[in-house]
Amino acid sequence: MLKRLRSLFRVLKSRSGFEQGMTEEIRFHIEQYTDDLVRSGVSTQEAARRARIEFGGLNRVQEDCREARGLRTFDELRRQLRHAGRLLRKSPGFTATALLTLAVCLGANLTMFAVIDSILLRPLPFPEAGRLVTVFNSYPKASVDRDGSSVTNYYERRGKIPALASLSIYRNGTAVVGDPGSTEREPSAKVSPEFFATLETGPAVGRAFTEAETSFQTDRVVILTDPYWRQHFNADTGVIGRQIRVDGIPNTVVGVLPPDFRFLSSKARLYFPFSSSLEDRGPRQRHSGGNYKHLIARLKPGATLDQAQAQIDAQNAALEMDDSRAKMLADAGFRSVVAPLQADHVASIRPTLLWMQAGALTLLLIGAVNLTNLLLIRANSRLKEMAVRQALGASRWHVVSEVVVETTLLTLTGGLLGLAIGAVVVRLLRLMGADRLPLGSYIAVDGRMACAAVLGSVVLGVAIAIPIAWFNLRGPCANAIQSETRGGTSSRAAQGLRHGFIVAQIALALVLLAGAGLLGLSLEKVMAVSPGFRPDHVLTGQISVPWNKYPNWTSRLTFNARLMESVTRQPGVSAAAIVNNVPLSGNSGKSAATVKGYVRRPGETLRAHYSYGVDGDYFTAMGFSLREGRFLTAADSRRPERVCVVDEDFARYYWPGVNAIGKQLNPGGDAAVDAELFTVVGIVGAVKQSALTDQIAQGAVYYPYALRRDDNLFVVVRASLPPESLGPVLQRLIREIDPELPVNDLRSMDTRIADSLVTRRSPALLAAIFSGIALLLTAVGTYGVLSYAVAQRRREIGVRMALGAQPSQIRAQFLALALRLLSAGTGLGILGAWFIGKAMQTLLFQVPALHIATLTAAATVTGIITLVACLLPSHRAAQISPMEALAEP
Amino acid sequence: MGKTADLLPGTLDMLILKAVSLKPLHGYGVLLRIQQISGDALEIPQGSLYPALYRLEHQELIAAEWGVSDNNRRAKYYTLTPAGRHRLREETAGWNRLASAITSALNATPEEV
Repeated sequence: MLKRLRSLFRVLKSRSGFEQGMTEEIRFHIEQYTDDLVRSGVSTQEAARRARIEFGGLNRVQEDCREARGLRTFDELRRQLRHAGRLLRKSPGFTATALLTLAVCLGANLTMFAVIDSILLRPLPFPEAGRLVTVFNSYPKASVDRDGSSVTNYYERRGKIPALASLSIYRNGTAVVGDPGSTEREPSAKVSPEFFATLETGPAVGRAFTEAETSFQTDRVVILTDPYWRQHFNADTGVIGRQIRVDGIPNTVVGVLPPDFRFLSSKARLYFPFSSSLEDRGPRQRHSGGNYKHLIARLKPGATLDQAQAQIDAQNAALEMDDSRAKMLADAGFRSVVAPLQADHVASIRPTLLWMQAGALTLLLIGAVNLTNLLLIRANSRLKEMAVRQALGASRWHVVSEVVVETTLLTLTGGLLGLAIGAVVVRLLRLMGADRLPLGSYIAVDGRMACAAVLGSVVLGVAIAIPIAWFNLRGPCANAIQSETRGGTSSRAAQGLRHGFIVAQIALALVLLAGAGLLGLSLEKVMAVSPGFRPDHVLTGQISVPWNKYPNWTSRLTFNARLMESVTRQPGVSAAAIVNNVPLSGNSGKSAATVKGYVRRPGETLRAHYSYGVDGDYFTAMGFSLREGRFLTAADSRRPERVCVVDEDFARYYWPGVNAIGKQLNPGGDAAVDAELFTVVGIVGAVKQSALTDQIAQGAVYYPYALRRDDNLFVVVRASLPPESLGPVLQRLIREIDPELPVNDLRSMDTRIADSLVTRRSPALLAAIFSGIALLLTAVGTYGVLSYAVAQRRREIGVRMALGAQPSQIRAQFLALALRLLSAGTGLGILGAWFIGKAMQTLLFQVPALHIATLTAAATVTGIITLVACLLPSHRAAQISPMEALAEP
Repeated sequence: MGKTADLLPGTLDMLILKAVSLKPLHGYGVLLRIQQISGDALEIPQGSLYPALYRLEHQELIAAEWGVSDNNRRAKYYTLTPAGRHRLREETAGWNRLASAITSALNATPEEV
């Protein structure tokens, strides 16, 4: 097979050379034979005649030779391609419509394919990535579904779980890198020594971290990513052993990662050792994952996920035997979950992406149906030609292959145009925030997308050809030839097929429109949700205050006080605060709190609450509402009295109907001595913490700043100026206090809220675009089919009008046909929309599956557009002049 | 010229391979060589010679190259490829088995039955 293809390819490379050679070779043969005959005594003329006769029919021999080289099919294909090309050029209007339809529909699908391929399908860029898993702790009954893993988990599990070949812990963070005055906040990650070995992708230059580098005293080493190395060290391989300042302290470069290294969606440009103290690794810290430390592991070859899960379950059970908190953990439904790394990483976005692809496929279906209808109409006008050709001996194979070649030529051209559209749209996706999706920054136009384009186009071409070929073949030859020259009414079956397609189109467009409506409605509902604070005029930015430079609370509080003072002195600034986290930042952490004197009801578990450490006028700056008592102020962080503020959900849960002011609580899961308790001094309104769609009243506690050990802090500023304009000012003020501290992630709270909606806004927008196109296609399709019906029946209409039918009767007849199709389509569409609404429930927010208003609106829009598309042909039918129609040849 | 026999179906390819195996030949040369080595007993239909040559070239059993003929004209010369040599051996062995089987069958006498 390969040999023959190779040989065919050689010939095709120089087709004219082949023909020439063949002619020359045969001429040589005949001349040689003639010469031999002459030599044996035959006359020259007679010799030439005999040579030709004995050789046989020249054309026949040449055709046999071509077939012997496998050229016949190819020649046939070329002929048919030329024929198809001529046909398409002959009707530019039809060709343009078809190509545009295909380009748009295939473009939409190819774009979605590129997204799904990069996010869901393509394996992570590591050897045998299918064996990579993640392990996280889950406390579902305490409404914490996911809490990362603790350092203790890592040390207790590594080397102890037989199904795992290697296990590693990491956390993402930010490092302040560079010399004083030119520091930058660089995204970074801290990883345990076997991190790169687990991924089986190690530093290209230098080495990975060692076990000795995991203590706070010995961890001054760094591994650079390739982009950082190129940017800052000009790709110098002598970089190993050089030093860079990180958080004000020199770190030694020990390795550089390969160019294509990328770990999930991490933007880390520098890797540091994950250091911990012996205390961090002890059993008391076993459950302090906090959802920012994560485990990854590689299954041993042959080991399964279930084995790893069973072994970890067994280990957890054994460890709980002598854990004083065993009862509490059991109440919280504690379990460590092993999940495939990639699937787990993209799980949140998976259903949305699949629905979007389904939408794109529906669009393609509508487009394909449209095209099939247009082609059927054309085939009908060529019915006689087909019948004559078949009667004259054209084989069925020939008729079919001709149709397939024509449709495939169309779809391939459309597919290439679609690929171009897709390439543009993929770039536009970034503007829609696609790079904030998991793995979303790796969406790219590449060979796989091109392959999908070609493959998809060919499949589509063949699929569209099937009904056309069927129609061409079944056209009863004799009837078609005999039927009246001017064309009577078209065959019932063909008409039924066309009308069925119109009904399907209307139904599909309606489903798409209703789906888009539901998504839009949910987006509107989400956007109407009040976040619980006033997000306007608030600027937020992140800074890292390193512990090695500000080692105690006094120095840290002094830094905070100086910063807030200089910020509030700026014109227009009304309040400033420093806080360890802000709502909707995407990294909200929950932790337990124990309320003094509260006895849990039987079966009730320990609850996790959002907890914050605040300094300055946080509540004023963020625009919280005060329910009772007072806000925390900067002074609360600088006084020995332990006070806190809780939100109304928290107060309502623990002290229903009782004034919460003056009550006491303790952070963490254990009871504490009275002196360590925090007294509630204020109750604030609840805010949306992790997303605007938060449904559970989880409760939140706000402690004075000095309670939490975070390096990473948010600066919050409320000003009467546009918040973004304050960014440079804030940067300058921070540098004035400490030239080594950069600020980044400067965004207004309004922007943060908008960004948190990216997975709702983009699908709603895409669905709206899809359904707009679908409506347009349906209108074009309906118009085309009805116009054709009118043109077909010109004579009939002419006769009827000559016999006294009124134009209004004719118009009504066609409108009635349109209405019949429309009502069938709408009926089916409503059924479909209901079904889709039910299936889409997980994507929707406070919208029922059968939303009458949306459905009615969608049906009305579809109906109006379809009817408008029908009006013109119906009107034209009524305008037919009987004289002209009957006089036509 | 003695009495000539028609070719058995499927034997033309084998004869072409044999002819070419002796020496590189152009198409007309193949025709002459087959007549020569068969003692002028076989008549090759000229029209089917070229399709057969092209088919064998397509299967890479023979290779073609342009050269110069004895009378200084450009001609296409065919040579046997290693695959062609292998095929020729197989076909020859197969033919011999068939021929001896048929011969022994035709030589059967009533006594042997």
